[in-house]
Amino acid sequence: MKLSYQWLKEYVNINVSAEELAKELTMSGSEVEAIEEVGGDKVMSLEITSNRPDCLNIIGLAREASAVFDTDLHLPSMEIPAKEARAKGPRVECIIKNNDLCPCYTARVITGVQVQEASDRIKKHILAVSLRPVNNVVDVTNFCLMEMGQPLHAFDLDKIEGDKIIIRGAVKSEKIVTIDGEERELRPGMLVIADSKRPIAIAGIMGGKDTEVTGSTKTILLESAYFNPISIRQTARALGLASDSSYRFERGVDKGMIARASDRSASIIAEETGGKICEFYDAGKSDIEKKVIEFDIEKAGKMLGERLEKKQVERIFQRLGMTVSGRGSKNLSVGIPTFREDLKNQVDLVEEVARIYGYHNVPATMTKFIPQVKRKEHPRKVLEKLYETLSAAGLNEIMTYSLISEATSTRFSSIAKDTVSLKNPLSEEQKILTPQLLDGMLRAISWNINRKNKDLGFFEIGKIYSCARGKEFSEVPALSIGLSGTLRSNWQEGERGANFYDLKGILEKTLKVLRLSADFSRMQIDFLASCAGVKLEGDGQHIGFLGEVSTKLLNEYDIDQPVYICQIKLDEILEKSVLTNRYHAVARFPSSSRDISILCDKALASAEIRKTILESGEEIIRQVKLLDVYEGEQIPPDKRSLSYGIDYGLDTRTLTDEEVEAVHSKIKEALIKQFKVGFR
Amino acid sequence: MEILNKLDKIKKDFEKVLAKCRDIKTLEEIRIKFTGRKGELTNVLRSLADLAAEEKREAGKVANTLKNEFLERLKELKESLESDAGEKGAGIDVTLPGIEPRVGTLHPITSTTKRINEIFISLGFRIAEGPEIESEFYNFEALNIPLDHPSRDAFDTFYIDDKYLLRSHTSNVQVHVMQNQAPPFQVIMPGRVYRPDAVDASHSFMFHQVEGLMVDKDVKFSDLKGVLSIFCKSMFGEDIKMRLRPHFFPFTEPSAEVDISCIICKGEGCRVCSGNGWLEILGAGMVNPKVFEAVGYDPDKYTGFAFGMGVERIAMLLYGIEDIRLFYENDIRFLRQFK
Repeated sequence: MKLSYQWLKEYVNINVSAEELAKELTMSGSEVEAIEEVGGDKVMSLEITSNRPDCLNIIGLAREASAVFDTDLHLPSMEIPAKEARAKGPRVECIIKNNDLCPCYTARVITGVQVQEASDRIKKHILAVSLRPVNNVVDVTNFCLMEMGQPLHAFDLDKIEGDKIIIRGAVKSEKIVTIDGEERELRPGMLVIADSKRPIAIAGIMGGKDTEVTGSTKTILLESAYFNPISIRQTARALGLASDSSYRFERGVDKGMIARASDRSASIIAEETGGKICEFYDAGKSDIEKKVIEFDIEKAGKMLGERLEKKQVERIFQRLGMTVSGRGSKNLSVGIPTFREDLKNQVDLVEEVARIYGYHNVPATMTKFIPQVKRKEHPRKVLEKLYETLSAAGLNEIMTYSLISEATSTRFSSIAKDTVSLKNPLSEEQKILTPQLLDGMLRAISWNINRKNKDLGFFEIGKIYSCARGKEFSEVPALSIGLSGTLRSNWQEGERGANFYDLKGILEKTLKVLRLSADFSRMQIDFLASCAGVKLEGDGQHIGFLGEVSTKLLNEYDIDQPVYICQIKLDEILEKSVLTNRYHAVARFPSSSRDISILCDKALASAEIRKTILESGEEIIRQVKLLDVYEGEQIPPDKRSLSYGIDYGLDTRTLTDEEVEAVHSKIKEALIKQFKVGFR
Repeated sequence: MEILNKLDKIKKDFEKVLAKCRDIKTLEEIRIKFTGRKGELTNVLRSLADLAAEEKREAGKVANTLKNEFLERLKELKESLESDAGEKGAGIDVTLPGIEPRVGTLHPITSTTKRINEIFISLGFRIAEGPEIESEFYNFEALNIPLDHPSRDAFDTFYIDDKYLLRSHTSNVQVHVMQNQAPPFQVIMPGRVYRPDAVDASHSFMFHQVEGLMVDKDVKFSDLKGVLSIFCKSMFGEDIKMRLRPHFFPFTEPSAEVDISCIICKGEGCRVCSGNGWLEILGAGMVNPKVFEAVGYDPDKYTGFAFGMGVERIAMLLYGIEDIRLFYENDIRFLRQFK
């Protein structure tokens, strides 16, 4: 909304600069975003919130200024001067076919108009608010729109077929060429103004080209009406056509202004064009209810945290155009003017008082403390621990978009079906709610590698989304980790590239911190090489996987170095993690350590060996640690050597050498028996 | 006396090897060689048995003195060697760079959300969360945002189907919280939200919010001011000024937009604050009784306040980030700056 400072001053006595006015309007709710100098005038751009259509005109803003500065408002005369005797003109009948969408319609005939350039006064005003002068009839309707907020439309009556103006819903495939020259196809249900043959305007949005006022127009029909805001909004959106008029109708115009705006604009048109004001026709009724809100001053003060004086409150209401009655000291009956449909109850009036009184004048107080037990705290604490552990492990957290393209989504379709897609995406690139975090991770890795930053350790904690047919939408928190390039590098030890075991180690350590342990087993996923599935110990379901990204997938992301990646669903982890464990006594008796070097088939999983060692250890094993893995010289090509260090001990006494040896031998025998291993 | 010459020679030998000794191991060898059970001095002392009593006493005295002297010298050198003044530190160039452990980072949105949460938690608020895929009821209707109303313009929304959408604000959680809990309570609701805005330096179709809600008997507008003032000062510094401007939100009445004095120019006016000295950072207000009605609270019994802010906005101000897209590019040179 544009506001001319000079124009405003025609209606209200204020003695402040435009800048001061802008500040006060802003602080009372009509935010001034910019002020510019236009031909000696100051023109402000305001952001008027959708609840305040009454501020979408100069008089409305003058009323705000009068309340803020506590000064009188001078409204122009809305009556047709008596000297303008009603002339006789052509007869018109207005017929409303759809009362819900148009409760009230008025039309006035003005004859003998001479269409030409408007007077300087009118032009100056509409130019100040960035409207383009057209001719004296159109300019006056625009002037009145800006002044009073009532959209008006002038038809060339001679071009209207028949003597009936029909307000009806459009019929199927009905068309109209609007004033902007565009042909528009209307949908049934869209409200139109029609003559006996065709639509002559899209109600409240734009008039038709056929009946527009031109230089040769002699007789005009001036429309002033009220249209249903929802209907106008839907039609404007469907047609992709918005106007100053539709903007106001959508928000609701002042029902009390319809006839008066017609009168005032007719007077000015007559003045500007030398026309004669003829009959005024109306249909429907603008059923104006007199709305009164009982206002409890004490309650309002309690809500604001500030004692309110009755006098002050009354004054604010009156300046804002409300009527006030009620003799008690606590209650007021506040009559709400027709232009304030947004005011419906006590709290709405509290805001009126507060914003004119000034939010800055309300004190700042402190709430009383509400003791509350922390609810659902465990998963959040686990998440915090996760963030802590992963960043302490040297990883950088990333954050990626949860909307991805369909094409991207299909790259991972082997692990993520049942995707959720948007009905109205912004673009194809952001259409699917991501069912995995790998795409985001690979994008981040690619972005950096392509900017010559090749050593990367990333993690993301985000949600993955899905919806199985016939089921509810699911949003599950998940973790992804991506490693690529050199993990450790310094001048002493040189460089070492990240590998599968680095990633597995981070996962194992993280789970250990949360006092969980997982089983890793070989798994096949089409876009991963050397892939392992992850299950929580004692659980049947995979919670995730890790592995090296296949060359094919790397190529899709323009990555030319190995990438190790994992994705773990967190829902179960957040539930099962143990943050506060019971203390376990530190061993008081020393351990005996024995090393064992096993020569076995390469294909034999180390987890099997470990399991056998533990099972044969008769519960005197404190720890089994893998010391070395060797393949190569002195070892047959299909074999490898695994060396373990085993610590034996009891909590109750020191073990004798004989006891340790006996168990150690038993372990060796079990290994030979089960896996036919040799020892080195 | 031949034996005295011998002792003299031992002394000279001792001095010679000791002067060359640079480590504890050699020192120990020297000790054994000269003063050990089979060492040179012991050998000399043993040979005294063959001498006359007079000579024996004199030579014995010299030999013992020498032994004590040797032991003393060995002890001195040992202490000196153990203090590592020599060999051990010799190869260190203290100006070479140290070997730093790898330390990761948290994303600035994560850490900013955490900072915001912590301030409110310290004021007694508790965290609540809710779904991103939401029904129209929770995102709009219960919050007094009717269908086809211009108030929805501010909340353009991604739809999944006719009923479900991606929440356009975290206010949906307010409704869930109120449906599941009776007052009094104070909650904050962090989360991810979506709006179909084309991406540019200041817009993103996905961003993060933290909302707050307090409901009790007699919660006041002035309380809202108090709480937000503590938040602003805790977040941006004690000398920050805050102002509330009337605004419109369907779910609050009265409603306000909250500005802080520009943290760059301290209110003088600069590019960041578009020259007016103020930065808008929050929306807030008293919970609209219609929202209470929608969740089954008695609006005559309870009042409450709500507020909401964009985490990206706060982080951008806090760290001086000028392009919102940086948060989602995940450039390591960007990420590394946030410890």
